[in-house]
Amino acid sequence: MKTFSRKWLAAPLAALLTAVALAAPPPGLLVLPEFDALAKKATESVNISLDPALLGLAASFLDSNEPQDAATRQLIAGLKGIYVRSYTFDADFAYPAAQVDAVRAQLTAPAWQRLVQVNSSREHTHVDIYVCAEHGVAQGLTIIASEPREFTIVNIVGAIDLARLHQLEGKFGIPKLPLPEGSAGGKDDKQPGR
Amino acid sequence: MSEDMHDDLENTPLERRLRAALTPADPPPGFVAGVMARVAAEPAAPQRARRSPAVVSWVAFGLAASVVLSVLLAHQWQVRRIEQGREARRQLLEALRVTDEKLDLTYRVVNAQPRAALPPHSGA
Repeated sequence: MKTFSRKWLAAPLAALLTAVALAAPPPGLLVLPEFDALAKKATESVNISLDPALLGLAASFLDSNEPQDAATRQLIAGLKGIYVRSYTFDADFAYPAAQVDAVRAQLTAPAWQRLVQVNSSREHTHVDIYVCAEHGVAQGLTIIASEPREFTIVNIVGAIDLARLHQLEGKFGIPKLPLPEGSAGGKDDKQPGR
Repeated sequence: MSEDMHDDLENTPLERRLRAALTPADPPPGFVAGVMARVAAEPAAPQRARRSPAVVSWVAFGLAASVVLSVLLAHQWQVRRIEQGREARRQLLEALRVTDEKLDLTYRVVNAQPRAALPPHSGA
């Protein structure tokens, strides 16, 4: 009787755990604020949310015979989402730092590692590139770029092949990015990663 | 010759039996009354409603309309799907463009620094 009860208890429990696992957000996915206030102030705004379904749909509209489309299709093959928020303003520093900090607060170790941090006091530009790794496999990439009149967050979810991204140099105008093996470091304008 | 043959045929046992069996006979007395009594005693069978031609034509029209509607809806769904796909493709390329732009910005800022300040790297 005891075995019977346990068996009948185990099945729904397993189903519940599976449902929870499926409902859990994938690693590398950030909760991005809506930035409504920023969008109102911005002269230009880009708000892109491509979940796995939309990514799949977009991929089906890429022409494999076109070299750029074929490269894009390869690049996004292992991705589970691309989320972009970018706002351009007509005045310097028109965006609140608090909302940027709220996003940065999610990028914590051990899941997230800062790959590159670039500060330019001359250009008043600050760029952080974070990578989310799980079991040694990259599961997400986040770029936070703050410029005097522009603020951008890019969150790419999924197994990102940086080498493949690197191969796209010239195709999307992606330049050679001197990515260090581990965390970037330097003095003044380049700070060491976490 | 032929009349003889006919007479012979008429007189065969089969012919005689047939003639006897097919002789008209009146029903026994009370037969009609009995039949009428049984008819009256049995419950009336439900009559199948006969569809009028108007109903039949409305049903046909309804079927045709639903087929046309299904085709229209499928076409509409397909058109919307194509629009969504094109929009998703546009957004994907825009997202990659923005990503590219920010990587480019990083590259520019890194390169703008004196080479002495750069850390040694693997040359990725």
